[in-house]
Order: sequence, then structure tokens, then C-alpha cells
Amino acid sequence: MIAIHNLVKQYGSFTAVDGITLDVRPGEIHGFLGPNGAGKTTTLRMIAGLLKPTSGRIAVNGHDMSAAPERAKGSLGFIPDRPFIYDKLTSGEFLRFHAGLYGLDGDGVDGRVHEMLDLFELRRWEHELVESFSHGMKQRLVMCAAFLHRPQAIAVDEPMVGLDPRGARLIKDVFRRMSERGVAILMSTHTLEVAQEMCQRISIILKGRIIAQGTVDEVRHLAGGGDDHLTSVFLKLTGGSALQELDEAV
Amino acid sequence: MTEAFPYLLLPHLWSSRNRARRRERGDLARGLLFGGVGVVVLGALFAGAFWLTWQLSDYDELGDYLLRLGLSWLFLTCLAFLTFSGIVTSLSTFYLSDDLRLLLAAPVAPRRLFYARFARTVAQSSWMVVVFLMPVLMGVGLARCAPIGFYLTTALTVVPFALIPVAVGAACTLLLVNVFPARRARDLLMLMGFLFAGSLVFVLRAIRPEQLLRAESLPDVTGFFQTLQSPVTPLLPSFWAGELLFASLNGNLDLIHAGALWTTALASCVVLRAAGERWHFSGYSRSQEAPKRRAMTLGAADFVARILPFSPVRRQLFLKDTKIFMRDVSQWSQLLLLLALVLIYLYNFRVLDLQRVPYMSGFIKNVYAFVNLGLASFVLATVAARFVFPAVSAEGAAFWIIRTSPISLRDFLWSKFWTGLVPVLVLTEGLTVAANELLGVDPVLKAVSACAIIFLSFALVGLATGLGARYPRFTADNPSQVAGSYGGIVYMILAVLLIIVTIVLLGWPSMTYLLFQVRQRPLETWRIGLMAVSCGAAAVITAATCVIGMRSGVRALEAMRN
Repeated sequence: MIAIHNLVKQYGSFTAVDGITLDVRPGEIHGFLGPNGAGKTTTLRMIAGLLKPTSGRIAVNGHDMSAAPERAKGSLGFIPDRPFIYDKLTSGEFLRFHAGLYGLDGDGVDGRVHEMLDLFELRRWEHELVESFSHGMKQRLVMCAAFLHRPQAIAVDEPMVGLDPRGARLIKDVFRRMSERGVAILMSTHTLEVAQEMCQRISIILKGRIIAQGTVDEVRHLAGGGDDHLTSVFLKLTGGSALQELDEAV
Repeated sequence: MTEAFPYLLLPHLWSSRNRARRRERGDLARGLLFGGVGVVVLGALFAGAFWLTWQLSDYDELGDYLLRLGLSWLFLTCLAFLTFSGIVTSLSTFYLSDDLRLLLAAPVAPRRLFYARFARTVAQSSWMVVVFLMPVLMGVGLARCAPIGFYLTTALTVVPFALIPVAVGAACTLLLVNVFPARRARDLLMLMGFLFAGSLVFVLRAIRPEQLLRAESLPDVTGFFQTLQSPVTPLLPSFWAGELLFASLNGNLDLIHAGALWTTALASCVVLRAAGERWHFSGYSRSQEAPKRRAMTLGAADFVARILPFSPVRRQLFLKDTKIFMRDVSQWSQLLLLLALVLIYLYNFRVLDLQRVPYMSGFIKNVYAFVNLGLASFVLATVAARFVFPAVSAEGAAFWIIRTSPISLRDFLWSKFWTGLVPVLVLTEGLTVAANELLGVDPVLKAVSACAIIFLSFALVGLATGLGARYPRFTADNPSQVAGSYGGIVYMILAVLLIIVTIVLLGWPSMTYLLFQVRQRPLETWRIGLMAVSCGAAAVITAATCVIGMRSGVRALEAMRN
């Protein structure tokens, strides 16, 4: 559903993403893990069509992002790490605007908007301006928009940042439900517990390259660990074991 | 904890230093452009002040009287500007600035924080006035061959003169934020500011300065001076500053007014500090509240969008832009000022007394039609710079929504174009047609002007939209900042050039036609052909400007992915 082949992104002489190949299947939640600056956000932005790859290919639902960007984008929902939205629109207006961008029109739109607002527990604030929303509410509104047009794939960057436990739980439930309906979800996260709990497969990225890929057990095995917690596996693979020792000492 | 308050200003100084050190492509061109414009403006101010003072010195006592009156008016205007600027700036520096969270959480004494913020407020709100006053007062001093003491007195006058209105402005803000939440107070202030500016323009127009040019209304001149004298009251710091400088121009030292200025300035600081220590924190706390805000529904916009034959995408883009515009007070309140200026513009054409020029009044009327076209085009260029050029930048950090959606950037930019074009075209076409009607110009010229404005509207809106996409500033706080940026100035220069070229290309055939009409001679075929080529060239150039501007904008948006 999301297919990336040999993706490269260079900024001058700096290579942010270095030959990533990844395939997220329908109904799969794929965790995209890596330390800060590893290239996760750059990769997701390329998938969303915000950045142009230096080389390589991205396809969403079979549509090539370079050759048919509008079709590819129409099949994708993107949730960025920071929920910037038009402050002077109400949440209802924002969702209707979003629906219009994806070509949804007519009587069904209002019903779908209400369905999404109900799902993300924002219905009470349908007529409130977005400027009065908290970070978590904005984050949930962006998620409403991402799922509004019934995308076949979702690219999400750090979905749990700024959410309270109830909000985080809600998002996990929604993602699970969507994946059960066949939506492919590529999720970048720092919260390893979330990855362990939700993802069928994970990819670990370091310095722009994928250094491990597979199910959590396969990655654990790859790191040479037995029943290690994912955090230990992650630190071993990304060279952060010194940090772990420090953590244990403290 | 014990350092003096300037320590708290260090981050701003370091930021400014780092900004100055940063080198970017186009720095030289930008520097030359901005520097050149600055030097020209300052030079013009200096030359104007010098010339006027020089002229007044021929009239002995009347000249002295007018100079004193002029200085008082100059300072009165600056006083009004500084007070308003003080209100707006202090709202940002004392209540809305992001770094306040850091400073208020740190063990910093309120008094120290107050002085640091007040120093920043004074600097931010008064630098423009100081830069404006410098060449003007220098021109006055040199024209009157003032002693060196005048320049020293100028420096010692400007400092307390700036402190007083800014302190008053900051006190007003302190009061306002304790009554309204700071974010609502900002909207309220914007609205008040533009209403104030609009009414000021009306008042100045109501004085009817054209009376001075009419010899037959000489008895009215005394009344005119009385009107001028009325707002100059001895109780205002502007009067003290004017008197102090006038005395020093003649080599005298006016200790009474100097004392009044300095003691009032220091007293304002002390009183404001006491008030700040007492009420600043409560105001700041209120400014942190994000009250629930039920939005204006703007059903009219929904209705218009429904009846127009738009695609769903276009309809939603139109609705979004309209609603965001109408809900932002800082945006639409400027329309009030614009409306006031337009009304005065039309009123001026109504009172224009061309019958005083015998024999030529008919010809001059038609020449005025071109003056009107030029002025309407400049209004068009300015309105497009303020409202259309920032359209892409107005997307701000939310632009990712458009860029990740399945619409082409070309569609997006053309939607911005049409949303900008319709109101701009209605405004300037109405302005041109109404002014020509009031003047009673030749029907052919009326038609030429009306067509020219349509072409120019397409060209200037296309140029503004395209260059706005080419030089966006997504992080700007408000659209005025975007309009005043490098790209905004590039747009204005190109717009002025286009207007000049268009008017020249249309002016020659129109004048030829008029002259042949006046002389009652038929036009030769070859001349008609040349006139058609000239008008055609104007049409081609304006159409090309629109298309090239928009294409360049679309390319720039697409290149953002790189």
C-alpha cells in the first residue's frame, strides 16, 4: 500500500535519507523507529509529497508520488508531528474544507464530518475556533481530517506527542480499527512501548539507513537479544547502550 | 538575580547581532534596494524641511509663527503615533511575547523585568519616529543656521518626548488587559487604531487646505489658522518640545519647557513602574487564558459560495480564505481606512473647480482622466500589495494541508488569484468610473480608462499573487510584514513600472484622439493603425505580466518540495 524503493534525500553534501526501501501492506501498522535526526520525519514528508526525493520511488496505493502526485495524495492521510491548522476556522469548517480538497462534496460530507468528530470526541467543539484548542485537541482534529476521506494509507509522525493518556488510548484504538479495515499505517514514534504494543512490523532507521526490519521478535533476534525489552534492542542497534548503562547506574 | 535590567535585553541584542551576521543570497541587492529607498526618503525629508524653513524665513514674524506652529504640529503628530505605537508594542512586549514564560518563571524581580520590557517597548515603538525626526529637524536647523546647541537640545528633547507617550500607551494596555483578555484586546486595539486613522484623515480633509490656494477666500485664512491652532495646547508634551526647540533655534534655552518634559517623563516611568508592579502579573495571567470562542458564522460567504459555479475544491478554498479574512480584525479593519481614503479621493474630484481655467477646462478634464487612471492604478497596486501579495504567506504553518492534499499547486494559486481579483477589480473599476463621471470626461476616454483598469487589475493581481508565492514569508506575524518584505518591494517596483508603461502606451493615442477632436480634424488611417498598435501593446504587456507572474509563482511553489 505504501511502497518505497531506494529512497534518497540529500541536502547539499548531507544525506538525510540514504537508500531506504520499505513496504507497508494493507492492514499493517508499521513502526518507524530511530533516534533524533535519523531521517524519520524527512522520509514521512517525502511520502506525504512535502519533499521531493533526490532519487528513489514512492508509491501509495499503486500511484507513483512523482508521476501522479494527486492520485497518490488522494489515497493517503498524513498526520504531521506538529498540528498546525487554520486558527480562524472552526473545527467543523476545517473538516469541510479538508473534504473539499479531497473532492468530497454533497450531502454525505456533513455526516462524515460528524462521524469523525464523534470518533475523536470533538463533536462538542464543532463550532469553536481552532485557536482556542489545546495541542491535544488540534492533534485529534488533524487525525479527523486524515481519516475523513477514507484513505487507503496513513503516514503519521509521532502521533502520541502531547496527548493525555485518554487521548493516546483513543488514538491507539482508532489506528487498530482502521488497520482492521485494511488501512496501511506507517507510524514514526519515539515511544517504543507504543511500537511494541501496536505494530506488526517495525523498521529501525539510523543515519538515513534502515538497519533492522521485521516483526518485533525478528528485530530482537537480529540484535542478538533473547527476551530483551524493545528499548534495549533499540539502544543496542542504534549505539545508545552507553545511555542505557548510564540509565541503569542512575 | 542581582544583575541590572539591561542583562535581560541581551538575548534581543544577541539575536539582532546574529541576524546581522547571517549572510544570504541576495543580501547585496536587498541592502542596496532598502538602503537606496531609505536614503531617498531621508534625503527628501531633509530637503523638504530645509526648503520650507528657508521659505518661511522670508516672512519675519509670520514665518516664526508658522515655524513654531509647524514644530508643534510635527510633535503632536509624533505624539499621537507614539502613543498608539506604545499601546500596540507594549501588548506584545509585556503580555504576548513567548520569552515571558521563561522570564516570569525565573527568579527575576518584577521591577527589573519592568525596566527591561519598558526599554524594549520604547526602542521598538519610537525608532521610526526618531529616524523620521532626525532629517526633518536637521533641515530646520541648517536652514535657520542654528547654533550647535540646537542639535544637542534636539537629542535631549527627543528622549523624554518619546518616553512620555510610550509610557501612557503602556498604561492604557495595562488597563485594557486587566479588563479584556490580551488576545481580545489586540483585536480591539487594531480596530480602534484604524478607526482613529480613518477619522484623522477625515478631520484633515475637513480643514480644507485648498482654501489657501484660492486668493478670493483670503478672509477665510484667519479661520484656517485658528483651526490649525486649536489642537496645539500648552498642556501637551508636543507643545513643550516644539517650544524648546524653537527657543534653541534662536540660541536660547527654554528651561521651563525642558523641565516640564523631563520631569513628566521621569514621573511617567515611576508611575507606570508602580502600576506595572501592582497589575502586570494579573494582566499577564488573563492573557494566558484561552477563552472558548464561538465563531461568526458568516452565512453570507456560505451563500455566495453555494450559488457560484465553483468546483468543490474552489468553493472550499474560497470559503476558507474569506472566513479567515473576515475573522481577523487586523485584516478587515484596514478596509475601513481604505474606504475613508476612497471617499476622500472621490470627494476631491467632486470639489475640483476646473471651470476656473477658462477655454482649456474641457481638455484639462480629459487630462485629469489620465491622472485619475494613474492614481486608481496606484491604489490598485497598493491594495494588491497589502491584500493579495500576502495571500500565499497567510497560509502560514498550515500550508502543509494544501501541499499534502490532492490538488495541484496551480489550482491553489489560481484560486488565490480569483479571490483577490474580484474585490480589487470592483473597487478600482468603481473608483475610476465614478471619478470620470464626476469629472465629466469624454466618453471614449471613459471607455479607455475602464478597459485599462480591467487589464491592469489582471496584471497587478497576477503579479502580486505570483511574486507572493515566489517570496513567501510563512512565519510573518501579520500581512503588513509580508507586504513590506523584500518581495513586496520588488512587487511594488515592478507594479509602478508596469503602470507607467501602460499609461504611456494608452496616453499617446488618447491624447492624439483628443487633440484631433479639439481641432476638429479627421484622423489619418496610418495614425489610427499606430494608435491601435500602442493600445494593443498595452494589452499584451499587461496580459503577459499576469501570465508570467502566475507561472513564476506556480514554479516557485512546486520548487518548495526541493
